[in-house]
Amino acid sequence: MDALYELITGSDLGFWWKQLLLAVLIGAVGVIVFSVALVYAALMTYLERRVSGRVQSRVGPNRVGPLGLLQWLADGAKMILKEDVIPAAADRPLFRLAPYPVVIGVFAAFASVPFGEWLIAADLNVGLLYLLAITSLVVVGILMAGWASNNKWSLFGGIRSAAQIVSYEVPTALAILVVVLMAGSLSTQDIIREQGGWPWDWYVFRQPFAFAAFFLYFTAALAEGNRTPFDLPEAESELVAGYNTEYSGMRFGGFYLGEFGNVYLMCAIATLVFFGGWQIPGVSPAEHHGSWLWQIVGFGLFFVKAWAASFVVVWLRWTLPRLRVDQLMSLCYRYLVPLSFVCLLGTAVLMMLVPAGSLFDSLLRFGTFGFGLLVAAIFFWRVLWHIRHVGDRIDLKILARGVRGRFDPAIQHRAYGAFRKQQKQPEESR
Amino acid sequence: MSETSPTSADRARDAILLNMGPQHPSTHGVLRFVLHTDGEIMHRAVPEVGYLHRGLEKLAEQQTWAAYMPFTDRINYMESMFCNQAWAMAVERLAGIEVPERAEFLRVIACELNRIANHHITLGCMSMDVGAFTPFTYLLRERETINDLMEALCGNRLTYNYMRIGGVAHDVDRAWIAALEKFLDHFEPICDELDSLISYNEILVKRFIEVGVICQADAVAWGLVGPNLRASGVSWDLRRDQPYSVYPRFDFDVPTAAGARGIEGDCFRRWLVRAEEMRQSCRILRQAIAALPEGEIRAKVPRKLKPPAGEVYACVEGARGELGVYAVSDGSDRPYRAKWRSSSFSALSIIEHISPGLMIADLVAVVASLDTIAPEMDR
Amino acid sequence: MGALRDYFAAIGRTIVTLGDGLAVTFSYLLRKPCTIQYPDRTPEPVVSMLPERSRGFLEADVEVCTGCKLCESACPIDCIHVEIAKDESGQRMIQRFEIDLSKCMFCGLCVEACPAGGLRHSHEFEGGMGDVRHLYVSFLDEPVPPAKKGKTVEPKPLGSIIRARLARPFDPYRGDRPASGARAPLSRGGEP
Repeated sequence: MDALYELITGSDLGFWWKQLLLAVLIGAVGVIVFSVALVYAALMTYLERRVSGRVQSRVGPNRVGPLGLLQWLADGAKMILKEDVIPAAADRPLFRLAPYPVVIGVFAAFASVPFGEWLIAADLNVGLLYLLAITSLVVVGILMAGWASNNKWSLFGGIRSAAQIVSYEVPTALAILVVVLMAGSLSTQDIIREQGGWPWDWYVFRQPFAFAAFFLYFTAALAEGNRTPFDLPEAESELVAGYNTEYSGMRFGGFYLGEFGNVYLMCAIATLVFFGGWQIPGVSPAEHHGSWLWQIVGFGLFFVKAWAASFVVVWLRWTLPRLRVDQLMSLCYRYLVPLSFVCLLGTAVLMMLVPAGSLFDSLLRFGTFGFGLLVAAIFFWRVLWHIRHVGDRIDLKILARGVRGRFDPAIQHRAYGAFRKQQKQPEESR
Repeated sequence: MSETSPTSADRARDAILLNMGPQHPSTHGVLRFVLHTDGEIMHRAVPEVGYLHRGLEKLAEQQTWAAYMPFTDRINYMESMFCNQAWAMAVERLAGIEVPERAEFLRVIACELNRIANHHITLGCMSMDVGAFTPFTYLLRERETINDLMEALCGNRLTYNYMRIGGVAHDVDRAWIAALEKFLDHFEPICDELDSLISYNEILVKRFIEVGVICQADAVAWGLVGPNLRASGVSWDLRRDQPYSVYPRFDFDVPTAAGARGIEGDCFRRWLVRAEEMRQSCRILRQAIAALPEGEIRAKVPRKLKPPAGEVYACVEGARGELGVYAVSDGSDRPYRAKWRSSSFSALSIIEHISPGLMIADLVAVVASLDTIAPEMDR
Repeated sequence: MGALRDYFAAIGRTIVTLGDGLAVTFSYLLRKPCTIQYPDRTPEPVVSMLPERSRGFLEADVEVCTGCKLCESACPIDCIHVEIAKDESGQRMIQRFEIDLSKCMFCGLCVEACPAGGLRHSHEFEGGMGDVRHLYVSFLDEPVPPAKKGKTVEPKPLGSIIRARLARPFDPYRGDRPASGARAPLSRGGEP
């Protein structure tokens, strides 16, 4: 993008030609970013449905395409073809407008997500700030939808959403600030370049405060994305469907694309800020920069990391109950905000006291990494324990007719009806 | 109607009148609440019942004593077996019929299985109403196994119609007993898994703790029964305190969840009581299987049953507590009157009393924890 | 100090309990799902997987019917219609044997009442029809004499009778009965 931009501006074309080419370039990039975001959000719905199925010992969608991989296309077609119902009492212009800020807020943020070293639409020098700011547009749309629906449940959803998103902006930004402090830059690419390919070079394992900041960020981002356990704006058992109660068809689809796009976005931010982005273990940035192969591998790594984080989000959603409104606020202001400040301060102190590359620095790094491994090990031990404790599904096939031989007629005091008696001894029938 | 319209006090406080139901995801059936709220906090929640009235008590007067049995299945589809048993006991007492011992054991086995199945739904709905959907599917999966067992036992998965006047319809065989034992072996660890998954989940605990508190005096005064009453600290169980059938022969505890986190009579206690009751039902089932005697499963009952004129009240400890039927005979082959005492109705009536100050999200949790079933209220 | 301890104890408790719950749900990713992919991906047809006593659609074998009408009187909702009448030659004949499956509540009382064993629950349950009236099933094509004592009949496979009848639905209200004996149904209960 930057290269093309310089190519155009540096050429000896006339002023208006340059402007036209730039406009075409920006338009093309916009279309690409939009389609990427669309496909990612749609794939997110597939992941959501599939993982929720497996978590609940179901199968999930598996009929459309191989493994149900084309389910999202079918869903999209269904959404577009459905009737777009607008309630009679709704505020029509607002009602029609509401999904757009949600979609735009999320999809515009994709412009600044570094999918690979070369694969970024706009490497802004305030990239992170842009990411945090543009997603706040979502709340406008949700509030609009809640108000315009002219439905009390929707209104509750909209109001809850506004309170929640505004509150949770604070801990999100503070937790990310920890990394900004360490990297000394707001540019997404710079932050990735500061990290390394190996896990202990990632910011999440650099020192304990960053480790804690990651969890704070993740929790707060869940709340910003209206995901369980913070899905109060659309709490299905309380508010019917919250702000999108009255929506149908593609307008409803817009909200959903926005929500799922937001999940991917939040995971992409977590990946680039805490998990080393597209950095490949053992490949230096200089090697990385010039090689097509490493670019593709880097893209793949980012892809895998971000989708793994998305999996965690989905998995959390299908495990946890939902908080209450007051608990949501107390979690934010009593726990997340103070702890984020502690992390920020702790990071600053550590940066003052521990020079980079010193023995203590490595100790912190590997200590944190080791602690992370330990937690994972305990977790997987627990998983195996659960599997062993309960075992697999039981099979009561012996009750089915298929294996009739096991039915013992001697114990059977009275056959079901007299029909079988007659079958056994036809001469007795009347 | 004056109940549902805002009072002058409500108007003064700018209350929003909010209609929750009859079509709402968490009212479980067709039930309506009229909420007077100030934002998230409620001033009052008034339940409105009657959407599911099917005239089941009046229907009894058109049926013969025996032919009313399938209708009792429909009184409360979650605890059909208990309704069956209550009706059978009432008619047996009226007509003076002695039930064979094996039949009594089979009744206990069927009822306790039904109790577990019912608590599956209750706990599942409670967790679903506070936003956790997965426990619901796990519990429904276990309930499916019970449904399989029930289908093999009596031929149907929901409306069992298993009991008859003077006994039960079908006997069990060794294969069925083996399957039941297999299920119990499988299910007892599942109780632990449920605890790991959700019972002590901090978010769930925080949602339930000190919410919808019903003190002991209130619980008694409003006529709460079963797990709701026990969670309020009143250890009262008809199986133990007013024994019927063969329950005195079994050794089981009546859980009250005393000493757990939270306070007496809150939603969390009601959850714990139910979770523990499932374990106790497993205990009873194991004892019943071990002690199952041989013999007849059905007493000799005349085809045209005509109990002598009189009246009777028979009650069983259903999954939601005391489930009673009051039957009057005029000496003919049809009941003169049948009246059901259902636990859901009294449980629902307390909601208006405890609702002031609750949040909307709390109301959902409280309704789920009281385990009300709309068809049982309206009959 | 106590307040601070409570503060961190709450955080610790949250992490431990939530982590344990996550371990349970994660463990299900490693186990087999329990879904039965009805109707097209079951190991065998669901009808043949049902237990012995499963109560599906009622089916009547009129060849063994004695015409005692006990099933009709046992039915709590009057969905069985049996009619016995003498024909021209003065012989008692079963004129009608009809069951309204759309009304039937599958309680099984009629099956218990039947002394001949001519009535039974099949395991069939897939009876989706375009018109609810097509679930009104007649088990007779033409009047048959009631079975006498000692008559032996080849037992028919479970479900074969009702499957044949449902495949060839008749509409009692239009009167287009497939064979002879076309008549409107008895007016009982709520029927016109």
